[in-house]
Parts: sequence; structure tokens; C-alpha cells
Amino acid sequence: MKETINEQQLQQRIDDLSAEIQPQRDLWQGIERAIEIKSQVQPASEPRASNGNIVRANFQPLAWAASIVLAVILTFNYQSRPEQAPQLTAVEMIEQQYLQEKQNMLVSFGKPNLDTLPDDIRQQFDEIQSARESLLTALEDDPQNADLLNLLKWTQKQELNLLEQLYSPKWQTI
Amino acid sequence: MIDAQQLFASQQEKEWIELAKNGDRHAFQQLYQLHIGKVYGLCLRMLAQRDQAEDVAQEVFVQVWLKLKNFRGDSKFSTWLHSVATNTVLSHLRKQKNWMQRMFSIEDTHISEPTVNEHPELSDLDKTILKLPEKARLVFVMFAVEGYRHEEIASMLNMAVGSSKSHYHRAKKLLQEWL
Repeated sequence: MKETINEQQLQQRIDDLSAEIQPQRDLWQGIERAIEIKSQVQPASEPRASNGNIVRANFQPLAWAASIVLAVILTFNYQSRPEQAPQLTAVEMIEQQYLQEKQNMLVSFGKPNLDTLPDDIRQQFDEIQSARESLLTALEDDPQNADLLNLLKWTQKQELNLLEQLYSPKWQTI
Repeated sequence: MIDAQQLFASQQEKEWIELAKNGDRHAFQQLYQLHIGKVYGLCLRMLAQRDQAEDVAQEVFVQVWLKLKNFRGDSKFSTWLHSVATNTVLSHLRKQKNWMQRMFSIEDTHISEPTVNEHPELSDLDKTILKLPEKARLVFVMFAVEGYRHEEIASMLNMAVGSSKSHYHRAKKLLQEWL
């Protein structure tokens, strides 16, 4: 196979790489906000190696939901606007659409009883629900935040996908 | 002259670290300004996704704030920060993978195309690195760009040393072909 550059040329390019790449937006505000929140809810101790490395002994059941919440906290720069009345129109629309879609889906699957699902599946639904509620809470402060709204839609989609995987005939035959 | 400037910068950084350890957020912001380029560069090269790189870079600084009291100055701050950043990226990847596996019962997932076009200022090599397969990219960045040894990489990525070398070799070949 013909190579366009040799090893030496590649090494030269590696040596020339800039050590720094600047992000395209200021990340500080999100960090500051997260620090503020974290310092209020920080647990007494966190497992860590002696060299300061982060240690995760095992995957926590709520980790993914928590990571979404953390992503929300970190990603978005909360602009506190206490004088602004909450406007949940967009959120309400998205929620209504999702509830309708979920309802239609459940009807098409013969209204299965979700309470009888195995514990691990129920746990997944609970985690998604928890993430959704966290997003709704965050949207109360920043109802027009497009990224938050997109994340809410994405979270709703995960629940619908899970339902589809569980009850759709094509999945049941697998 | 340069030595004097470096010495001053180093002293200034030490002051900011001490102030930040005592809860001074302005000092911590100065540390952020000083190091964000390197941290974000590491995150972007390892994750190949702008949004994820931004999120994880933020998480790195939150972790640093929470753990700063543990930094005793035995090593350079930049070295310690680098270690926190690498571990935060890998932890992020593990969580993401774990969730994807549980949700979709699949072994490995390439979530989306790398966001090369969102960083037009990147060098050709950086743009090509972002297109590498995940493991090859991680190993290549950690070995060739960040200076880790294969033994360290193997331990951090939970693979054999030979696999690390093999991924590095593959990454190099792909880069040579694509550049």
C-alpha cells in the first residue's frame, strides 16, 4: 500500500502539534456554577488513589442519570434572571408531545403493566425518569435554553426507545 | 530574561494554587485561563467530539477544584492536572460505554462522526487524529502526543501492552495513509 508520508515526516508533524487547543466557547461560567452546586452537595469522602487519580470501584446504579444531570450543570451557563417569570410553553409542548407519543406507544403494545417489569429494567426507567425530572427543574430556571430542551427531548427518546425495545414485536422475536 | 519570566510565571501559579486551595475562585479562574488550552486539547483529541470535549474539560476543572487540597506540590501542577484530565476522560468514556451497552446490549458504539468541521483552525494532523477509530486514537494520543508509556496506557485502558503497541502501530499506518 502506498503511503503518502513516511514515519519521519509523521514524527515531525507530531512534534509540531500545538500543545493547546482553545475551546470555542468560554467554559468558565459552567465550571463556576458546577463548583457552587458541587460544594453544596459534595459527599464526605470520595474514593481516590494516593496519586490523586479518580477511582471508581464499580459502576453506580444512578451513574448515568447523574452524569446527565452533571452534564446539564456543566454544559449550560445558567444566567440567573430572578425577575423573569417562568415560561414553560416550549417545555410543556415537548412534554405533551412526549406523553402523547408514549401513550400511543403503550396502547399499540396492549397497555403493558410497567410495574411488573424486572427490577433492572424498572431501574433503567427510574433513572431516565430521574434525569428527565432534573432537566425539567433546570428548565424552570432557563426555559428557553435550546441545549437543555434538546437534552430533554433526547432523554424522552431514550425512554421511548427502551419501551420499543421491550415491547415491539421485532424485538420480542430476537 | 526568559528564565526570569518563567520564574515569575511559576511563582504566580503557585500563589494562585495556594489561594484556590483556600477557596479563592478568582485565583482558580486564573489557573483555568492558564491551562484550559492544554486540558481542552487533550479532551478533544481523545474524545473527538467538541461537545463532549467541552463537557469533560469542565468536569476536569470541577474535579481539580474538589481535589486541589490533595495537591502537595510534589510534582508540577501541570503534570498533576494532566493526570486528572486523562483519568476524567477515561472515566467519561467508561461511563458512556457502560450506559450504551446496558441500553442497547452492544459491545462497542461509535456514537457519531467526529466534529472536525467545528474546529477549522486545527492542523491537518489533528483533524486526521480525530477520524481514527476510538482505541487507536486513544492510544496514539496518549503515547505520541501526551507521552505516556505503553505500560501505563495498557493499565489505564485495561488492555495488554502488546495491544497498546498494536493500536499505536495501526494508528500510525492510518495517519500515514490519510495525511
